[in-house]
Amino acid sequence: MKSSYAYYPGCLASLSQKELDTSTRAIAEKLGMTLVDIPGFTCCGAGDVHEARPEYYLHLNARILGQAEQLGQDTLMTICNVCTLNLRQANKKLQADPDLLERVNRNLKEVGAASYSGGVEVRHLLWEIAEGDGYERLKEIAQRPLVGVKIAPFYGCQILRPSRLLGFEDPDRPQSLERIIEACGAEAVDYPSKIKCCGFPIVLARSEVALGELIQPLVEAKEAGADAMVTPCPLCHLSLDAWQGKASREADMEFNLPIFHLAQLVGAAAGLSYDELQFKRHVVRTYPATDKIYQGA
Amino acid sequence: MHVTLKIQRYNPETEEQSLETYSVEMNEEATLLDTLDAVKDQVDGSLSYRKSCRMAVCGSCGMRIDGAAVLACKTPMKPIVESGEVPVISPMGNLPVIKDLVVDMAPFWAKFRAVKPYLEEDENPPVKEWRVQQEELDRVMTEALCIQCGCCVSECNSMESDPDFLGPAALAKAARFVYDVRDRGGKERLELYNGPHGVWDCTRCYFCNQRCPKGVHPRDAIAKVGAAIYQAGMHSDPGARHAKVFVKSTHKTGYLLETNLVPETVGAINAIKDIPFALKLARAGKVPNPLRPHSANKLDEVRKLHKLIEAQEQAAYAEGTAGPRRPPEEAQAKESE
Repeated sequence: MKSSYAYYPGCLASLSQKELDTSTRAIAEKLGMTLVDIPGFTCCGAGDVHEARPEYYLHLNARILGQAEQLGQDTLMTICNVCTLNLRQANKKLQADPDLLERVNRNLKEVGAASYSGGVEVRHLLWEIAEGDGYERLKEIAQRPLVGVKIAPFYGCQILRPSRLLGFEDPDRPQSLERIIEACGAEAVDYPSKIKCCGFPIVLARSEVALGELIQPLVEAKEAGADAMVTPCPLCHLSLDAWQGKASREADMEFNLPIFHLAQLVGAAAGLSYDELQFKRHVVRTYPATDKIYQGA
Repeated sequence: MHVTLKIQRYNPETEEQSLETYSVEMNEEATLLDTLDAVKDQVDGSLSYRKSCRMAVCGSCGMRIDGAAVLACKTPMKPIVESGEVPVISPMGNLPVIKDLVVDMAPFWAKFRAVKPYLEEDENPPVKEWRVQQEELDRVMTEALCIQCGCCVSECNSMESDPDFLGPAALAKAARFVYDVRDRGGKERLELYNGPHGVWDCTRCYFCNQRCPKGVHPRDAIAKVGAAIYQAGMHSDPGARHAKVFVKSTHKTGYLLETNLVPETVGAINAIKDIPFALKLARAGKVPNPLRPHSANKLDEVRKLHKLIEAQEQAAYAEGTAGPRRPPEEAQAKESE
């Protein structure tokens, strides 16, 4: 773990998923991480700009990396899987090709943006607290163990695959979320589709295909006895939480499965309150699980 | 070395399924395919699987080990034996099982044929041969590495949900022709990949990139086809419209305009039908005020950047140094030089 990071919340945590930004800032303080805001950051373009306008995607991300560098930070911390893959992919491309970096910098200069020398590393919050001194620090701050709470880890795709661009852990047998759940004093439940897709990227354009994907982890996590699910990605969260009602109707099953952001799980174990972690901003009521956490305390 | 593995068996005559454990002695260099050969030779001759070249070229021996699709001939057993785990060998996913580890590839080939995996010829082909420059070849080299083994299809999450999705192998082949400078398929070709079950079905789970034993990166190939469709101005599919909102958003506010996503992707009427859902989200505070969108600082920089890159992209397309192909007349002119 670093003592300070250029902090990139991305769009969702800045807009509809504000509880993620609030919880992240709250746990960072407890962990002793300084989060330095990037004043002029924009959207990373998600998979959409990346697909439709690859050149524009590359420049958008180079601009963000350049801004992080300008702040004197060597590590940019993300809290979203899609932002993580987008920024890391652009970063690796720029770092590996000096001619490309030079061309991109010429363009950045022309519009008055900070240039980028290639000196920033992109890391997700999950990775910072799942091993090494970050993990030790997590265990220290987890003063309110979530005893008896069963949590289903849901990784999502773009923090595992493709591993040549992400590479933190075995993409088929990840353990980082399980380690964190255990450090928080809760019990991790296992189920096969924890590494599969939540369907979010196509939830509007191909809703039936997406719902078919979304139902699978919800069914399996419920069958495994989960009180709640935790995910490191706000897009997975939106899919699993906001679209859960639609998945429920489609599958003709009641799920009522609360979905936690990673930072909320850590925050709850670190003694932060229900209000501080803004559990109220969820679509699926978190009560059964949060009652276990807060009434057990 | 002593190798133990479990194999998922299926007998189509009795429709019986079982998980059988086999142990054989192998040398340290043995692959999964060598091990299956030993099981078939020494233990149970009725075991069925496909194989041919034994060197990761023919694409016959795709199967799953502990749920992950691999080429059996490219999978060394030593690390697995040393880990102490007993792996489970099963047939590939997303394809019907014929017997044991043999799947029916007919649906796979049907999708291949559906993408027209061949050159659409020019009306006036060159008198001699087509001369393709190295940098033009480079645009399709990655996709040309595909050996049609089906490992990507096996784990495609969208195909599990929509079995008619063209899928990563067929769409990677599509990219190989979309970006071939000799191809004249044009918008008609792109239209094949643009409708239901086409590129916009891809959920970006990246299992295909993870599994491909040849480094084809099928998801990246699908994105290349998506880019060709998008940049050809074909924005009728909700998938393309979704992308358009993102591009527009970054220009307008620097952030995603979340409230524009639904109506501009699915259309106003469908958005109205979904009002109860939107209200549910609004109650949780998940609908940002559309009249006062959150805006990035230094927005001017992003807008200028967008315009600058757009102009560069258009120039590169006109020159034929980027995108699917050179304009035919220019290709001909270059050819006759």
